Amino acid sequence: MDTWTIAEINNLTIQGELKNGALIAKTEGRIDGGNAREFQSALENLMTDDVTALLLDFEGLAYISSAGLRVILLVSRQMERMNAKFGVCSLSSSINEVFQISGFDRIIPTHAAQADALSVFGR
Amino acid sequence: MPLKPMPSPYLADNLFAPNRDKNMVKERPHKILVVDDEPDLEPLVLQRMRRKIRSGVYNFVFAQNGVEALERLREDDGIDMVLSDINMPRMDGLTLLEQIPKVDPELRAVIVSAYGDMDNIRTAMNRGAFDFVTKPIDFEDLEITIERTLKNIAEWRDALASRDRLVAIQNELNVARDMQQSILPTRFPEGSGYQIFGSMEAARDVGGDFFDAIRLDNDRIGLTIADVSGKGVPAALFMMSSRTLMKGAAIGSVSPSEALREVNELLSQDNDAAMFVTILYAEYDPTNGNLTYANGGHNPPLVVHSDGSSELLPLTGGIALGLVPGLEFEQETFTLAPGDTVVLYTDGVTEAMNADEEEFGNVRLHEIFASSPPIDSKEANDAVFRAVHDFAGNAPQSDDITCLTLCRSEFED
Repeated sequence: MDTWTIAEINNLTIQGELKNGALIAKTEGRIDGGNAREFQSALENLMTDDVTALLLDFEGLAYISSAGLRVILLVSRQMERMNAKFGVCSLSSSINEVFQISGFDRIIPTHAAQADALSVFGR
Repeated sequence: MPLKPMPSPYLADNLFAPNRDKNMVKERPHKILVVDDEPDLEPLVLQRMRRKIRSGVYNFVFAQNGVEALERLREDDGIDMVLSDINMPRMDGLTLLEQIPKVDPELRAVIVSAYGDMDNIRTAMNRGAFDFVTKPIDFEDLEITIERTLKNIAEWRDALASRDRLVAIQNELNVARDMQQSILPTRFPEGSGYQIFGSMEAARDVGGDFFDAIRLDNDRIGLTIADVSGKGVPAALFMMSSRTLMKGAAIGSVSPSEALREVNELLSQDNDAAMFVTILYAEYDPTNGNLTYANGGHNPPLVVHSDGSSELLPLTGGIALGLVPGLEFEQETFTLAPGDTVVLYTDGVTEAMNADEEEFGNVRLHEIFASSPPIDSKEANDAVFRAVHDFAGNAPQSDDITCLTLCRSEFED
């Protein structure tokens, strides 16, 4: 399967991959106040009409701050407006804890692994 | 309902020099206009504030109602802030609030409201009130509120001056930082059987932590610790709204869960920017040691026992505030035994990183007190900061670090 680099931002790399028509964005590094804005524009560029499902794979993500959570929420709302599917998957235990404590695991569709997300997406 | 925590400072047309130096107050007393139709208030204010008046820190002028207040404001452009009652003949305090920006958009107003009168407090805030105090007036509380308000005015004037000099992101961040500092309490409620201390260490360029400790009825204490998403002036304004709404809800609500529900409701409206705040709000009852808390997406409280062992209290299933309207919140009660300390903190503590990019984490949080149980609330607070500093070493601080502790005394006095 082809992968390509979506963005290389300060402390963060985003790789793209298409699986069964869903766009998977694999993030590696950290998302914080220092790069949240760039992270946001990278994702906004992805959200075109032909993307009907977007999955953020956080397997390689070491840290996310509240500024990063805010971007994910904005993307989630945008995808909802576009009637497209959205979710995050493969959270490390520390990222998972951030999602649990903040309650984001209840407002952002969160999946254990890529396969779980894709089956929920119906792909 | 749009939130307007204060009149826009950008409309101001007469700026004066930055006034950050406390000594500068000696040059000109801060002039405060007190508006109330009760004739008893004037002699009371003059009596209780006599030291500050004599030493030239404050200067009070008085008006009986909103109409008179506007006249005073029009004839005297040296007035810095307004302290106004709500119910008055001719023009009430809420109408006065609407009129004030037309006379001077830079003025800050503090409202005097009946205890728990959330409807009026909410309306007052929407009309740009900076803060409120409740009746009967606690003069110590009033003085703190006046100081905070004047400090905030000084910060804005300073910000405006620097805005004129140089428009730069760093400046904006400094403004946000100064505003954040100006809302933090520097004195804490005192009472028999408990002690409270809190402090914040700001990160260089991001973060939005705040905390508060207020007196409630029946000697109870309201404790708030919070973390606002984002940075810069928009986040700072969101923080000011959150802090004042939380204070209002704390005073006006029957329970912590109800208080968070109210604040969430207000913050969720028109929040397209998806800003949010995690808040842990707890009420402490010194008569029985009960700590009742509701958690809106914040780190769980740590309770440290007198033998140094500690436990994290359960989450209450809440979500960060400002995101989902109509949300109900749950609450839990934990009874502090004599000698127990509750430590409220932000993720700047648990997510502090060292040079090897390891997180401080919960295990180290428990270890802080394992061999040296807290002696008092200040010492407990300091111990948290020491532990984080020792761990982080020279690694850059990426988030605010905030800690608020309450100790239940070992022996009741």
